[in-house]
Amino acid sequence: MDLSLDSSTLEFQAEVRSWLAAHVRPLSSMDTLQGFEEHRAWERLLASARLSVVSWPEEFGGRDLGLLQWLIFEEEYHAAGAPGRVSQNGIFLLAPTLFSHGTDEQRARILPPMARGDEVWAQAWSEPEAGSDLASLRSTAVRRDGGWLLRGQKTWSSRAAFADRAFGLFRTSAEGRHRGLTYLMFDLRADGVTVRPINQLDGEPGFAEIFLDDVFVPDHDVIGEVGDGWRVAMSTAGNERGLSLRSPGRFVAAAGRLVELYRKNPDPALRDRVVDAWIGAQAYRLHTFGSLANPPAGPAASVTKVFWSELDVALHETAMDLLGEVAPGWRDGWLFSLAGPIYAGTNEIQRNVIAERILGLPR
Amino acid sequence: MTPEQLALRDTVRSLLDKHSDIRAAIEAPHGYDKDLWARLCEIGVLPIPEHHGGSGAGLAETLVALEELGRTLTPAPLLSSTLAAQALLVSGNDEACGRLLPRIAGGTVAALALPWATGDHVTTAPLDHPEVTTAVSDGPLHATVHHVLDGDHAEILLVTDGISLYEVDPGQPGVTREHTPAVDLTRRLATIRLTDATATRLGLWSSQVRDTALAALCAEQVGAAARALELTVEYTKTRVQFGRPIGSFQALKHRMADMHVLVETARSAARAATDEVSAAVAKVYCAEAFCKVAAEMIQLHGGIAITWEHDAHLYFKRAHGSAQLFGSPQDHIDRLSRSAHR
Repeated sequence: MDLSLDSSTLEFQAEVRSWLAAHVRPLSSMDTLQGFEEHRAWERLLASARLSVVSWPEEFGGRDLGLLQWLIFEEEYHAAGAPGRVSQNGIFLLAPTLFSHGTDEQRARILPPMARGDEVWAQAWSEPEAGSDLASLRSTAVRRDGGWLLRGQKTWSSRAAFADRAFGLFRTSAEGRHRGLTYLMFDLRADGVTVRPINQLDGEPGFAEIFLDDVFVPDHDVIGEVGDGWRVAMSTAGNERGLSLRSPGRFVAAAGRLVELYRKNPDPALRDRVVDAWIGAQAYRLHTFGSLANPPAGPAASVTKVFWSELDVALHETAMDLLGEVAPGWRDGWLFSLAGPIYAGTNEIQRNVIAERILGLPR
Repeated sequence: MTPEQLALRDTVRSLLDKHSDIRAAIEAPHGYDKDLWARLCEIGVLPIPEHHGGSGAGLAETLVALEELGRTLTPAPLLSSTLAAQALLVSGNDEACGRLLPRIAGGTVAALALPWATGDHVTTAPLDHPEVTTAVSDGPLHATVHHVLDGDHAEILLVTDGISLYEVDPGQPGVTREHTPAVDLTRRLATIRLTDATATRLGLWSSQVRDTALAALCAEQVGAAARALELTVEYTKTRVQFGRPIGSFQALKHRMADMHVLVETARSAARAATDEVSAAVAKVYCAEAFCKVAAEMIQLHGGIAITWEHDAHLYFKRAHGSAQLFGSPQDHIDRLSRSAHR
C-alpha cells in the first residue's frame, strides 16, 4: 500500500528508527521487580527523546502528532523489537479518558509524570464477581469530607504488583446498575491498600489482586461526574479494544519474524499457516491505515479487538508448531496471546456488541 | 468515499434495485441484461477518460459500481470491459485508445484474454517467470486461455502474453471461442483458442493491469459478502422459533458477528489493494472471507437456503467461482511466498 508519507513524516520515521537502533536493548520481564524498574527507566529514556507519547500535546510531553505518525512510530517501535510499554495502562487507557473527561487540573497534574514513567498506572476494573458483567461490581466509594473512602476487592489488575497508582470504577450509589458507578483514581501505596500479586502462566506476577479497606481518595481524583463512571469508562473502552493498545505494527513485526523463522525451519505442512498469519497482519495494517480518517471507535473497535486477538493466537501457535517445544523468544508471546481474547472485554462480549449494536440483532 | 462516489453508489444501487433480475439475466443471450448494461454505460461506470468518449470516471468510481453489482450478483460485462479498457490505457497506444475506448464506453463488450491458470499456454507474467522474454512483434499468436470473462461474445478481443498487449479480430478463422458454463451461473466465462491467429501488437503489457483485475474482483467480492450478511441478518430477525427471533440467540449472533469482522476487514484490504503485494493479499483475503460468509449464509438460513428458489446458493457459487477466478488463493499464496514477502 502506498502511504505517500510527506517529508516531515519521513523525517520523523527516520529519527525514530535511528534513535531506536541506538537505544534498544533487551530488558528483564516487566513482571519482575527488577524488570519493572528497567522498563520504567526505558520509559524515562523514551521521554527524554520526547518519544514516549508522540501524539499528545507538547505541554504534556508529546509532539502533537497525528494518528498516522503514531502508527508509523508503532511500526518502527515493534520492528526494532523495542521493550513492552510498562506504562501502557496509563498512556493508552487513562490518558484518553482524561483528555475526554478530565479537568485541566487533572491533566496538568497527572499526564506529565505518566509520560515520563515517573508514575506507572495499573487498571482496576474486574472483581471476583464482576468480569464480563463489569456493571455488577460491588466495590464501593463512600462519601467523606473532601473525598471518598474505597472499600472492596479488585482483581486481574495488570501491572498492579509494582505500579504506583490505579484507576477503576466504584459503586457510589445503589440506584441502577450503571448509574451508580463513579470513575476514581487511587494510590496503590495509600493506607488501607493491600496488593497481592498473582503469578501468570509464565510464573511471573503480571497482575494482582487489590484489597481496599477504607482507602481515602480526594475529590480531585474523581474523573467526570459522580455517578457517571460507566459512561466515562465506556466512552474510552474503544481505546483498549481498538487501535491504541494493539497497533498493527506489533503484528506486522511478529509476522515478519514468523516468516524469518519459517525460512530457517521450513516445514511445507505449515507454510499456508505462516502465509495466512502474514496475510492477516497485512490485512489488519491495511484496515488500520485505510480507516485513518475515521478510526474505529465505539462498537467498531470490537471488530478490531476480535481480529487482532485471534490473529495473535494464530501467529504464535504457528511459531510454536514450527519450533516444537523449544521456542526461545516466542514462548512468552505465545502464552500472553492466550490472554488477548479475554482482556479488554472477552471476545464473546465483543461479538455481542457487534451483533446488537452494529448488526441490530435483538437482545 | 467522496460525495461524488457516494452519489454514484446510490444511483447504481437504485438502478439495480429496480431493474436487476438475475434469474432472467442468466437465461438471456450471453447471460446478461443488455438494457441494464446500456443504462450502466450511460451512468458512466467504466473508467474511460472524457477525451476517449468516456464519462471521465476513474478506477475508484468503477470499483464503487462493481461493489454494487457484486451486492446483487448482477451479471454484466463491467469487469471484462474495465480490464480491457485499463489494458488499452496502460499500453500507451493512442491510436488504439482513440479507436476502441469510445466503443467500449458506448457499451461494446470487450474481453481481455489474460492467462492466469497454469494450464494456459502463455503464462509469462514477470512476477512469476522473470526469465521469460518473448518477441515484441505482431502475431501470429498461438494460445489457449481459459476462463476469459465474456470471451465468447465480446466484439473487441485483447490478448496478452505477459509481455505485450495484442488486438485480435475475434471473427477470423484462427480464433475459436467456447462458452464454458461454470458452477457460478451469474458469471460468463469462455475458453479462447488462437491458432496462427493474426494479431496486432498494441504496446507493452503492464502487470499493473493484473493488480487492477484483482482489486476490481475484490470490490465485487466485498459487495457480495456484505449483502450476503445483510440478507442473513434480516432473515434471522424475522424467523421466529421457540417464540423469539432466531437472531436473538447468541449462538447465531456470534456467527454473524464473525461474518461482520470478515466483511469489514475484507473491505479494508480491497480498498487498500493498490500494488502487487497488497492486491495479492487482498485477493486471498477477500476470496476466503466471501466463501466463509456465503457458507454461513446458507447455514444460518437453514432449509430455505437449500432450495433453488432462494438466492443463497447463488452467493455461495459466486463466492467459490470468484475465489478461483484470476488465480486461486493458493496460486496467490504461492506468488507471495516466492516474492519473498517484501
